[in-house]
Amino acid sequence: MMLYVPIALIFIPVFSALIIYLIKAQSIRYLAFVAQIAMTVLAILYYEAYTGQFADTFFVIGGWHERVGISLINDELSLSFVFLSLFIWWMVLIYTFNTGQNHRTFLFFLMFLQGVFLGLLQTNDLFNMFVFLELMTILVAILVVFKKAGDSFRAGIYYLLLNISGVMMFLIGIILIYFTFGTINVNSVQTVIAAGELVSGDEVALRFAYVLLMAGISVKAALFPVHSWLPKAHGVAMSAISGLLSGLVVKGGLYLFLRVNQMFAGANIDYALFFYIIGALTAVIGVMFALTQKDMKQVLAYHTISQVGIVMMGLSHYDPQTVYGGLLHIFNHALFKSLLFLGAGVIIKAYKTKKIKEIRGVMRTMPVVSIFMIIGMLSITGAPFFNGFISKSIIKYGIQDSGIKYWILFIVNIGTATSFIKMAQVFFGPKPMTIRLRSLEQRIALMTLAFACVVLGNFYIPISTGFFGVDVSHVSVFQWEAFFDYAVALIIGFCFYKLVIEKDPLTVRKIREFNLSFEMSNYLFVLYVAVMTVYFVLL
Amino acid sequence: MIKQLILIGLLGILFGVFFVSMQDIQELYNTFGKDYIAATGFADTGSRNLVTAILLDYRLFDSLFEAGILLIAVSGVIWISKHESQEKNAQFMLDKFKTPDLFVTFSRLVYPLMLAFGFYVIINGHVSPGGGFQGGAIIATAILILYYIDADKDTNIALIVTIEKILYIAILLVASLSLVSRGELFTNFFVIDASPDTKAIYLVLLNVMIGMKVALGLWTIFTAFLKEGR
Repeated sequence: MMLYVPIALIFIPVFSALIIYLIKAQSIRYLAFVAQIAMTVLAILYYEAYTGQFADTFFVIGGWHERVGISLINDELSLSFVFLSLFIWWMVLIYTFNTGQNHRTFLFFLMFLQGVFLGLLQTNDLFNMFVFLELMTILVAILVVFKKAGDSFRAGIYYLLLNISGVMMFLIGIILIYFTFGTINVNSVQTVIAAGELVSGDEVALRFAYVLLMAGISVKAALFPVHSWLPKAHGVAMSAISGLLSGLVVKGGLYLFLRVNQMFAGANIDYALFFYIIGALTAVIGVMFALTQKDMKQVLAYHTISQVGIVMMGLSHYDPQTVYGGLLHIFNHALFKSLLFLGAGVIIKAYKTKKIKEIRGVMRTMPVVSIFMIIGMLSITGAPFFNGFISKSIIKYGIQDSGIKYWILFIVNIGTATSFIKMAQVFFGPKPMTIRLRSLEQRIALMTLAFACVVLGNFYIPISTGFFGVDVSHVSVFQWEAFFDYAVALIIGFCFYKLVIEKDPLTVRKIREFNLSFEMSNYLFVLYVAVMTVYFVLL
Repeated sequence: MIKQLILIGLLGILFGVFFVSMQDIQELYNTFGKDYIAATGFADTGSRNLVTAILLDYRLFDSLFEAGILLIAVSGVIWISKHESQEKNAQFMLDKFKTPDLFVTFSRLVYPLMLAFGFYVIINGHVSPGGGFQGGAIIATAILILYYIDADKDTNIALIVTIEKILYIAILLVASLSLVSRGELFTNFFVIDASPDTKAIYLVLLNVMIGMKVALGLWTIFTAFLKEGR
């Protein structure tokens, strides 16, 4: 029965969500934890049972011909994402447990989203992916507007429409694939492309299908020209939801990026350079906007964009080491970004404002939360002994031959350091007259995330070799260059902050007030698809 | 103006490439999936309507989540349209006095026919075009007509939503019955060499449940919209 664990992982949260919705007792909320425990145990047992023989995890639902029915398959990649999702959902469940009176409805959407996300990770069928993507988009839109406050409706609709148009591109891509191969099973398509008998990889139809699939994925992953939904949605959502979206749901797009590139591996599509440029642009533009923001959550949201850019800079290589760096950065970013968002949520709730300038003296009012936030900030800026350093070093190692690639990463690092130096100001200053909020659940969640950041930052060698079988022993924390690089980035960042950002010149204000209208982002989306078409199909 | 011209140019590129890829597909066209289902669809699933065969048997897993999309959309609309302010006694936007009498009379005439047609489409989903999703939409339209006949009609949304959720759980359970009876997930719970008439029991059962669920879901959505439009 171990074979059907993926189905259980998808339906346990869905069922518990429905039961939580139906039974009108407050104590039914604990069912979410029961479900979470059951899923965690099942996932660990499943991993134990299939380690080293992941080909056996393949099965077709209903026992039909594998090219007709829907099949599910797991490998190291999908299972590592499954464990990451379970972990982040644990944290969000614990963090939000005693907040709000509409908690049952919230849990319903949250748990349903978990089932859908786990389905997206484990499916081996393109149309099934599309269904999960669509369901995910609707669920996230509802969670964004959940508080029904202020601008959230506009942001929710913005998110919904832009993402649905991306998902529709994905659907057209699937139709082209189905006509070309007579099947939408990812493994079968991959085998046929790799064999190179039916298709050579130069067909316009095949390449156009790739472009359309990538268009949908780029919107989901918030890559540069189609990133505008992310700061809007994350700015208005609850902090816990922002943490979940930034930490994990955006990574769903990056996961599909890896999967689809695996599928097209035999088609000789030269994607590395294009997506490197897109990744670099995403990273630079994300960090540029983050520098100018004054709202704590907006800063974090724009940093999500820039970190996704760094991940893309790692993933868009053929060298498995560098790709692994990008992959590891997905995990590290999930941990420290949810830590930062959840911590920011605690601070914002206590100070009742999101403006960085108005928050002072957090170190005195909330010393414990401040320590966890500082761990998060050290991780995101890439300090040695914290997890962000490891993945950034692997990416840096992979691109060190190319001068310009190296410098782009360095500039992004300086920008990140600058904007977190700015944000670190909230810790200092006199103690304000605020009510001190104590919440054990929130502290447990923050502590676990901070702990995970430190563990991954120090014991990365056994974790990497144990789970992925990738040797990263060339990355060493005990190198004086590492400390030197970090110190240089901090010093330049500090000077840059003092000389430019703090004075708030006109350019900075202009960038901050720059707003991408919905119409404009649709133009950009069409432009992006057209540029990809020209690059991948016509050239 | 320049923006529009650029947009037309960009869309022109996309459509041009799309047409070229259509030419490609005429050469590449792989009919494996189509041929397989045309050849074995009836024997495998007992459904003459091959769309139903795919929807309720070959790819039932997808259909479960397609039904889930509606479920989530309904819950989302309910949640978003729920206001704190208490205006329960307000009138519906559709005022009885503004609806022409002719329209009301014809609605009364058409209502039972639409309902019957909806049920027909659901129950015959496995032999003729149609099925749960389509029939459910027709029934929901018939219920919408009820609001023209009686504008003051009061609907208990909470009850409908509860029934809809329970129906969804029931659909999931019926779909997974095959694991107990045959050891296969999400397919017909009768054995594969059962006669088509036996298999039809499962298809009709699932079609009816999906049809009811879709009808209730759409009913909730437009009741919520009507209340919004007060």
